[in-house]
Amino acid sequence: MQRDKFFKEIENLNHPNEKLIKTHCSYCGMQCGMNLRVNTQTNKIIGVEPRYDWPVTVGKMCPKGVTAYQQTNHKDRLLKPLIRDDASLKGTAEGFREASWDEAYDLIAKKFKELQTEYGKDSLSVFSGVSMTNEKCYLTGKFARVALGTRYIDYNGRFCMSSAAGGFLRSFGVDRGSTLPWTDIHETDCLFIAGSNTAECHPTSMFRIWNVQERGGYIIVVDPRETPIARRADLHLDLQPGTDLALANGIVNQLIEMGYIDEEFINKHTNGFEETKELVKDFTPEYTSMLTGVAPEKIIRAAEIYGKAPNAVVMFARGVEQQHKGVDNVSAYTNMALVTGKIGRPKAGVATFTGQGNGQGGREHGQKSDLLPGYRKITNPKHVEEVCSVWGITPEEMPQPGVSAYEMIELMEQKTIRGLYLLCSNPAVSAPNLNFVRKAFKALDFMVCSDFYLSESAEFADVILPAVTWSEDEGTVTNIEGRIIKINKAQEPVGESKPDWQIQVELAERLGRGKYFSHLKTARDVADEFRLATKGGYADYYGATWDKIDKQDGVFWPCKDEKDEGTPHMFLDKKFYHPDGKAKICALPYRPPAEEPCEKYPLRLTTGRVVYHYLSGNQTRRIPFLHDMCPEPYVEIHPETASTYNMEHEERVRLFTRRGEAVYKVKITEAIRKDTVFVPYHFGHEDSINLLTIAALDPISRMPEFKACAAQLEKVELKKVQ
Amino acid sequence: MKKRLYLELENCIGCRSCLAACTQCGGHEERNRNYVYDVNPLVNRQTMPLMCLHCENPACARSCPAQAIQIHETGAVLSALVEKCIGCQNCTIACPYGIPKFDHEQNLMYKCDLCIDRTKDGIPPMCASVCPSNTLQWLTDEEIENKKKQFNLDNGKWVTSMPYLEGETNVKVNLPGILQGITKLF
Repeated sequence: MQRDKFFKEIENLNHPNEKLIKTHCSYCGMQCGMNLRVNTQTNKIIGVEPRYDWPVTVGKMCPKGVTAYQQTNHKDRLLKPLIRDDASLKGTAEGFREASWDEAYDLIAKKFKELQTEYGKDSLSVFSGVSMTNEKCYLTGKFARVALGTRYIDYNGRFCMSSAAGGFLRSFGVDRGSTLPWTDIHETDCLFIAGSNTAECHPTSMFRIWNVQERGGYIIVVDPRETPIARRADLHLDLQPGTDLALANGIVNQLIEMGYIDEEFINKHTNGFEETKELVKDFTPEYTSMLTGVAPEKIIRAAEIYGKAPNAVVMFARGVEQQHKGVDNVSAYTNMALVTGKIGRPKAGVATFTGQGNGQGGREHGQKSDLLPGYRKITNPKHVEEVCSVWGITPEEMPQPGVSAYEMIELMEQKTIRGLYLLCSNPAVSAPNLNFVRKAFKALDFMVCSDFYLSESAEFADVILPAVTWSEDEGTVTNIEGRIIKINKAQEPVGESKPDWQIQVELAERLGRGKYFSHLKTARDVADEFRLATKGGYADYYGATWDKIDKQDGVFWPCKDEKDEGTPHMFLDKKFYHPDGKAKICALPYRPPAEEPCEKYPLRLTTGRVVYHYLSGNQTRRIPFLHDMCPEPYVEIHPETASTYNMEHEERVRLFTRRGEAVYKVKITEAIRKDTVFVPYHFGHEDSINLLTIAALDPISRMPEFKACAAQLEKVELKKVQ
Repeated sequence: MKKRLYLELENCIGCRSCLAACTQCGGHEERNRNYVYDVNPLVNRQTMPLMCLHCENPACARSCPAQAIQIHETGAVLSALVEKCIGCQNCTIACPYGIPKFDHEQNLMYKCDLCIDRTKDGIPPMCASVCPSNTLQWLTDEEIENKKKQFNLDNGKWVTSMPYLEGETNVKVNLPGILQGITKLF
């Protein structure tokens, strides 16, 4: 399926006494195909071999992918449950002792029951993540609602994808991260890429992206930094962090002014054009330039290229989404596709670069505070009934919607939430405003953390449960395209580690809720119940059986039944998912970032990623090659700015905001705006840039504004006088 | 069908996946054997790989007094033979590209062998297999000829590395500039 010109028939190298297990990478939403090399005598994973026959990535892998297998048998793996009796050591890695699973489960069940008896059901919370299979994500939602009976469950997608979800829901009525398969990307005529450092964050997209230019097409990149993709782009719109909404409005205005709109498409298939046209009128190139810092002629040129392109894809990522108007940014860039009708056909559409491995699937099936499997709403009585019938509970037993990830942390600090079960996430690094977050974790009466390494967040736990890596379990993941794929098990769990679904089943039994969970004995059992629970929801996975996934090289949702081959292209019938079948062109007034530079904090701080690390770095910082390539964070500063502060390359300087401070090595580069500094966020403890970031949340997605706040620099030591 | 390593330097994004993958070739003792350079680190993000070009008449092998550097029938210039290498490091000086690396502990030169375990059977080397940006490709001569045509400039020259530094090479390199010769679609 979808084998294109990049696909070549290549046989793999088979080493003696080895077998190859085909699977996908553990890291980002690209979910590159890979083969894990397993020694058939020790039955251990010993290496990686390209998976040339995976149609999306044809064997390609970034350095994280190449070394991903080194996680499994790493010396830092947690082999047994750990218990810490001395709560005064919270926030450190000290004081843990090994325990049996029985002791750990007994302690957790006792503490959870005590807290719920004294403070009510909702005194417990679940904070989860989407770097795990759909099966685990699904069961985590069920575990919170059915085993714990708490309303407080949310997940790290609030720091990642939730603005894309909110924007797509508003514009299209459906949230599938890409309206087209990745195998279309190199065949389009123009890529408009905003807020995505694609070469570092989704490197295996690059061979398709460069091919657009080789064919004579155009690449337009919107980024405050001249990233590797911006360097080669036909047009680089170097905007000030946090001003995307103005830029998008300005471009839509130009598309209308220059006559690139598709009136027939607008009339037949959209609502909201007139209001939007009226609103964007003010966003002349000059006014947009004043707000964004992008030259007026570049704004006009961008509209001209995108408008003229027979086919074009608008793409974006965390740069536009991690703002307190992230949802508006997403809808505003999506407007470009809707006013020009460049959507609902092959080679044209809108896509977000999904960050986490299962950022797409993980947000669809009930880990979000207000969602249930199949993208159902917990506030919709019919949806609740449908899920209750699968779970075997009554609608009255279904908890109310909770609050978003960061707001849960606020409730911990206020002692409304007393207990936390954290899995598949490291918010002590990845959440904003970390001084507050770490204080909130310390305030918890009882915290359980499930992970395969002792993360910075696990340092706040009373009990740590050893989970398995992706390679020691099986299940499905939904990749960047909305394609459901299969992760395969390559070796038995290390030590006494267990998959999170098994931990939840066993914990539910200890909590007296076994009758809702005990039938789930394998990952496939969970998968079967999960597919059933999604049936009839709009993210319908019912027809995506493991066999079909294997046979078809993945299945794009929605896939409703056995005969349904899935939906690689969305909206081919020009039917959107709002009740009237129309998409919404959104009129969105501009708002500046929540915190603008001032005399005391004159710089704009923006944060992001490097190619060598994934998320909080809990996994990648432990891999020797990746650590060697990027052992510590740094602050990128334009040479002219550095010179006004009298700072040198590699000098250590203090960077601070209203919320916190950290010391970083200076990296001088002309590839950044003079008014902006950049720090990568993958590092823990005192190195975390999130000590400085602001928790200004988007009103819809509740996404914090990681991408823009006001900061100041200071020298930490006087230079030695020669 | 014989295939060659082909480098399109314009595509490099500096991810160093080629270096990570080099360590994963079974015959490489988990040491990477090539290089990726920041071209102008204080200015921009341009990077380029520096891979062994597998010269047809390699200076490294010619300079070796112990005949430790063998040339495989595929044209791959192999890493020094452990039993022959005397650790003189002539090869590291002779190579015009600075490719051979030296292990002081083992007193042994090691270099790219084009993943000979793979390429002798027509399987692409690890670096070109994984390269996310298609900077490193594994192509037939015909495909390389097509690249030449595709990236021809008006002056009749392929925008590639001409003249080469040190004789003909098995690996073909296309220097930055491929986009100059492209006609835009609109």
